[in-house]
Amino acid sequence: MNRSPYITDAPTVSTIMFKVLLALVPGIAAYVWIYGGGILVSLTLATLTALTAEAVLLKIRQRPVKPYLMDMSAVVTAWLLALALPPLAPWWLVIVGTFFAIVIAKQLYGGLGYNPFNPAMVGYAALLISFPLIMTKWPAPLLLAEHPLSFMDQLHFIFSHSLPGDIKVDAITSATPLDYLKTQLMLKHEVSSITQAPIFGAFGAKGGELVTGAYLLGGLYLLQQRIISWHLPTVFLASLATISLAFYAIEPNHFANPLFHLMSGASMLCAFFIITDPVSGPTTPRGKVYFAAGVGVLTYLIRVYGGYPDGVAFAVLLMNMCVPLIDALTQPRVFGHK
Amino acid sequence: MNNIYKEITINGLWKQNTGVVQLLGLCPTLAVTTSAVNGISLGLATALVMAAANGSVSPVRKLVPSEIRVPVFILVIATLVTVIDMSINAFAHQLHKVLGIFIPLIVVNCIVLARVESFAAKNTSLPSILDGFMMGSGLMLVLGLLGAIRELVGKGTILSGLDLVFGSSATPFMWVSTDYHGLLLAVLPPGAFLGLASLIAIRNWIESRNTAKSKTIAPVLNPSLNH
Amino acid sequence: MSESKSESMVKHTSKTAITMIAFAFLGTALLAYVFEITRAPIEASEAEARLALFKQILPENSYDNNLLKQTIKIAPNELLGNHRSTEANIAILNHKMAAVILEAVAHDGYSGDIKLLIAIRADSSISGVRVLTHKETPGLGDYIDVAHSQWIRLFNDESLAKTAAEHWQVKKDGGKFDYMVGATITPRAVVKAVLKAEQYFAMNKESLSSNPENAASVQANLIQKPKDKS
Repeated sequence: MNRSPYITDAPTVSTIMFKVLLALVPGIAAYVWIYGGGILVSLTLATLTALTAEAVLLKIRQRPVKPYLMDMSAVVTAWLLALALPPLAPWWLVIVGTFFAIVIAKQLYGGLGYNPFNPAMVGYAALLISFPLIMTKWPAPLLLAEHPLSFMDQLHFIFSHSLPGDIKVDAITSATPLDYLKTQLMLKHEVSSITQAPIFGAFGAKGGELVTGAYLLGGLYLLQQRIISWHLPTVFLASLATISLAFYAIEPNHFANPLFHLMSGASMLCAFFIITDPVSGPTTPRGKVYFAAGVGVLTYLIRVYGGYPDGVAFAVLLMNMCVPLIDALTQPRVFGHK
Repeated sequence: MNNIYKEITINGLWKQNTGVVQLLGLCPTLAVTTSAVNGISLGLATALVMAAANGSVSPVRKLVPSEIRVPVFILVIATLVTVIDMSINAFAHQLHKVLGIFIPLIVVNCIVLARVESFAAKNTSLPSILDGFMMGSGLMLVLGLLGAIRELVGKGTILSGLDLVFGSSATPFMWVSTDYHGLLLAVLPPGAFLGLASLIAIRNWIESRNTAKSKTIAPVLNPSLNH
Repeated sequence: MSESKSESMVKHTSKTAITMIAFAFLGTALLAYVFEITRAPIEASEAEARLALFKQILPENSYDNNLLKQTIKIAPNELLGNHRSTEANIAILNHKMAAVILEAVAHDGYSGDIKLLIAIRADSSISGVRVLTHKETPGLGDYIDVAHSQWIRLFNDESLAKTAAEHWQVKKDGGKFDYMVGATITPRAVVKAVLKAEQYFAMNKESLSSNPENAASVQANLIQKPKDKS
């Protein structure tokens, strides 16, 4: 991070990571309120898996275990992944995803600082491709649910995939608004009538938009603390809004409005917590602008034309691939050199 | 004399393995290996083509003027591949359907021409045939192993599709797990890259352990270069 | 000096050419020979594979003719979704049409066309349906393939008489066909395609079943456009 004057000590990795975790707390609180306490189980599982996998891999790679574990970066990855998964994801799904993120995306590339891809998004993409059926089924928010599940019911469901009484799994899950919108559009329905469905809220998903709002809040805290620079979130949100506005202006009945795209899926999580990963993102300020704009446009295009409902993960991974090129092309000229 | 054959064999199967050392012919390696049976079948077809190509080029190597050696070699290889393609189509039709375009594509697998050009064009028949077959077998091993890993992780099956080659009598040798979700990623294209990378890593690890063992007395100057 | 040089060049060139020709000739001869000996087995295997596929959707004992020989040409048709003419196979039992095997294409899948093979009995009931090719998302929409799930067998013994056209929908849309949550577009497309094939059969039953022994002559009578829906 280019901050001057260099008077104060630069914050250590663990301070940064701790503040990132802190910034996620409002989002998690909203999440628990909307979808129930099941997410806490996922978070715990992901954290434990991440720390174990990290420790084992560090040991195998003959690196010091303790200092690397204490930098908390594995926990951030674990939390981001757990928050991106469906709230009642089965236990093994969380473990497999976290394992992928830590072992394959992070440690095999050389650990923190060397991973070209965002580990949480690699874990997410691997799960989405492998288990699309589970990954695209979200439980209805508690306030919409026909059978609101208690925390114990959720806990039971996560570990045994069974529900109390004769409730069917299909009865508590539904498609996400992004998914629903896409399938209904394919049936030639119009956006205005589709969004009348109960799963839609004022902006995005009913209930889900509150969580999204809480992520925004946490993001603002990170900005205020100067943990992240404004370039990435602002440009990402602006580019997503611009492209969705352009499509919306041409054919409002066939494309959702910009606000819906900003408040749906993983947009806010992506803006403040995912693309702001300093390792897999570009380093130059101009590069950050290109990177974030690219993620915004790709996210929109994958959402509208891709095979899977949300496009954030694939957009981030695709742009991660471009980072070396972006960095090379946006190197500021050293004074006196051509 | 025996030493030459032994060396050729070790070269093909391990030292210069096509799949994990030379990394030649990756197109079929990555595309076909969704199951062990697919991988081994294509590997075997490649091995046969390579043995036959080496065997037919070696005796005539002095008759072919160097200007046209590449067209002639390609002609020989293309002929042999087409023969194998038609034979598989006739006698293992289901397998032919699965492997599809990848059998004719053996023609453009650079490893075939590479061995003809670098070995058969300079050596006598018997070592040439063995070299072609062993190089092909090395590839077959990698394809089979990669296919086995991918189908086990991805679908929870072992030797699925064996009945395509040997008919329904082979069914008892197939194993299908019933209660397994299947990590679909493994059978999709990314699984091929991850699987191949793991195989390369394992081979390098074994190799570096072997060299470390044989060089315990000699000081290692720059151990990090071994990676 | 220069004469002998050009002479040796001619010599060399002709030697090269002759070698090339000799190899080409040998290669061609070998290929021709192998082609001759594998032609019959390949044709037999292809026919066998085709019949094995038919066997999945039409029991072998329900016909006594050679299915592969008894074909009828189907021109591009809206109900079957085929842009090119295809061949339907006619099954005959005791000189009467027993069933027709039609190819149908659904264009409204999640990604790309879904090609179906549908066997319809003379009484308009469906004997079986199989997906020939599709590009649906792995793990999500691909349960229409019998290799992944038994879903496609839902169509066995269905008919327009048993289920009215408006109920030929997935349960989500108020129809009678099951589906998997998370992937409704694919089954929707398949159900629609099978329904349209049924309607096609109902419309052309007369011409498909009359004179089955020389079926080729009836193609002119096939109705190519659906009637106006009332």
